[in-house]
Amino acid sequence: MLRISAFALAMALALPAWAQPIRLGAVLPLTGPAAVVGTQEQRGIQFAVDEVNAKGGIGGHLIEVQFEDNQAKPDQSVLLFNKLVDLVKVPVVFTGYSGPTLAMAPLATRKKTLLVNGGAQADALDKASPYLINTIPVLAGELEVLADYLFGDASKKTAAVLYENNAAGIAGRDDFVASYTKAGGKVLAQEPVQFGDTNYRPALLKLGATNPDVLFVIITSGTPQLADQVRQVDAKYMVAGNTFFSDPELIANPNAEGFTHTQVLINAPDGMAAAFKAKFGTEFDFFPKQYYNATTIVLSCIEHLVKAGKPITGEALRTALLEIKTFKGITTTVFNTNTAATQINMNRLTNKTDTIIKVIPPK
Amino acid sequence: MLWLHLLVNGLVWGCALGMVAVSFSLVFATTKIFHVAHAAVYGLGGYLAWSALKHGMPEWAALLVGIVACAITGTLIQKLLYERLDRRGATHLVILIASLGLSAVMQNAVAAVYTSNVLQFGLPWAARTTAIGGVLLTTAQMLTVVAGILSYLGAMWFAHRTVLGKRMRAVASNPFLAEITRLQPRQVHIAVMAIASAMVAIPGVLVPLDLGLQPFGGVPILLTATIAMIAGGVGSISGAFLVAVGIAVLQNLSLLVIPGEWSIGITFGIFVIFMLFRPRGLFAG
Repeated sequence: MLRISAFALAMALALPAWAQPIRLGAVLPLTGPAAVVGTQEQRGIQFAVDEVNAKGGIGGHLIEVQFEDNQAKPDQSVLLFNKLVDLVKVPVVFTGYSGPTLAMAPLATRKKTLLVNGGAQADALDKASPYLINTIPVLAGELEVLADYLFGDASKKTAAVLYENNAAGIAGRDDFVASYTKAGGKVLAQEPVQFGDTNYRPALLKLGATNPDVLFVIITSGTPQLADQVRQVDAKYMVAGNTFFSDPELIANPNAEGFTHTQVLINAPDGMAAAFKAKFGTEFDFFPKQYYNATTIVLSCIEHLVKAGKPITGEALRTALLEIKTFKGITTTVFNTNTAATQINMNRLTNKTDTIIKVIPPK
Repeated sequence: MLWLHLLVNGLVWGCALGMVAVSFSLVFATTKIFHVAHAAVYGLGGYLAWSALKHGMPEWAALLVGIVACAITGTLIQKLLYERLDRRGATHLVILIASLGLSAVMQNAVAAVYTSNVLQFGLPWAARTTAIGGVLLTTAQMLTVVAGILSYLGAMWFAHRTVLGKRMRAVASNPFLAEITRLQPRQVHIAVMAIASAMVAIPGVLVPLDLGLQPFGGVPILLTATIAMIAGGVGSISGAFLVAVGIAVLQNLSLLVIPGEWSIGITFGIFVIFMLFRPRGLFAG
């Protein structure tokens, strides 16, 4: 009898552990002006999770993600982070956009929860928290590449800056100005636009009046409207930007002909892109790829812990990530610090296609 | 010549803003309802016109669909929400909160149906530019100016020359007296809401023709239009329109002397100081 009870107890302790799903959290803008990016990020996460679950999960555990909508608002993000960590008890929270991520970073440190950012690039994210893992390089590295290319290869000696008046835009402006000035260029003027405002004409007119060789643009949405208005004001300067220019609508816009930009490398096999499109009805473009990559990194760490029989906590996941260090997913991602290093390309929009014009390997 | 470009850009934007301010002013002066959902009606007009266009309707018919649908939406909002709340003795604050809620519901419904992507009408003629006095204007911008001026003149004619317009002014002036003299304020409220909603659909279509459609795009425009209405003098159509144009021009021209991040703050700062000296507005009777 005692032996049977001991066996039953052992089964009771073991079975639920196998049966229980591993629940992760995500705080992303699913409504509001940033939702176009947020929903794509959500799909990237879900795509990776569905792929793992279709194979039976990790060590018998299915993976679940609880998505919360922060509308890209930092205050809302803090509330939702607390909800996910304190009530749902998730060890990992996926995040996007610099402002909300920076707002959650101190909480991630305090609660030892892994905060995984696959899309935001403000420099402050690099050192915001030891528990904040950036699976995409921060802006400084990307814009240094752009500034060197513009001043050197493209011989653009003067620049004007149009930036979005938020954490990502301001960080991008400061990084570009510092790198371009260091390269030898001169920044003639800079103007902000509000997030979600697609009327760029006043700023374009003012910046155009300084006759720059190049206009550096760092805005996260409304790039097709920008292209239209640049042509309407009969601009003579070159237009340059960063990865944010990899918007399919911008690429398809004939007014964006000649727009030049940096592109953080992220590739996906054709079959995977087709499967994504069949599942969600949208292209497997930059942000879903990045969040798919970020999710596979987290799932690799979970697998590492499950195999080692260790508990899945934020602290254990962070340690596992820095131990594994190199992840060969859809793109090779290396973590020498908590911010990933990847290859960056220089691209140009030509005949409605985004073409690589120069490859810059990671430093 | 930068000042001329900025001035013209301000005038164009001011005409769009002016249509929103005048339509909001008609509603507020007559019903005393702070109709925040006007921002959502503005957005709805553009999206419905976009849908009509994508279903093969000609441009003029798509604009008409937007205008008529907004007029019907405005009528329903007044009849099914505001009037019911008013009959049940709801305060203006309660109605304001209901309007806020309705606005959120409508905008999120639009975002759910159409996505939050910035949608484009994609009409090449709308983006075609014409040089006027050395300033390049798109066809959409020129249409906005024409529509803005015609809407303003139309609103003035309606308010001062038509029977319904006179009833509207009477109700706005003294609702109690209007009630006992059988001017039927509730019917006037519905008619005004329909007219104002139809009017706000015009910039709701023309502005996105130029700048793209966004589900939440009406909110900042309504905020500025509200300030224009108050600074212009509640109930004054000319005040709302001219101050809206003034704000837009000032915001644009201020770029000549200050960086863009200060533009909105300083423009509205000037109006706050102005209101201290003339709290009833510039054109108050």
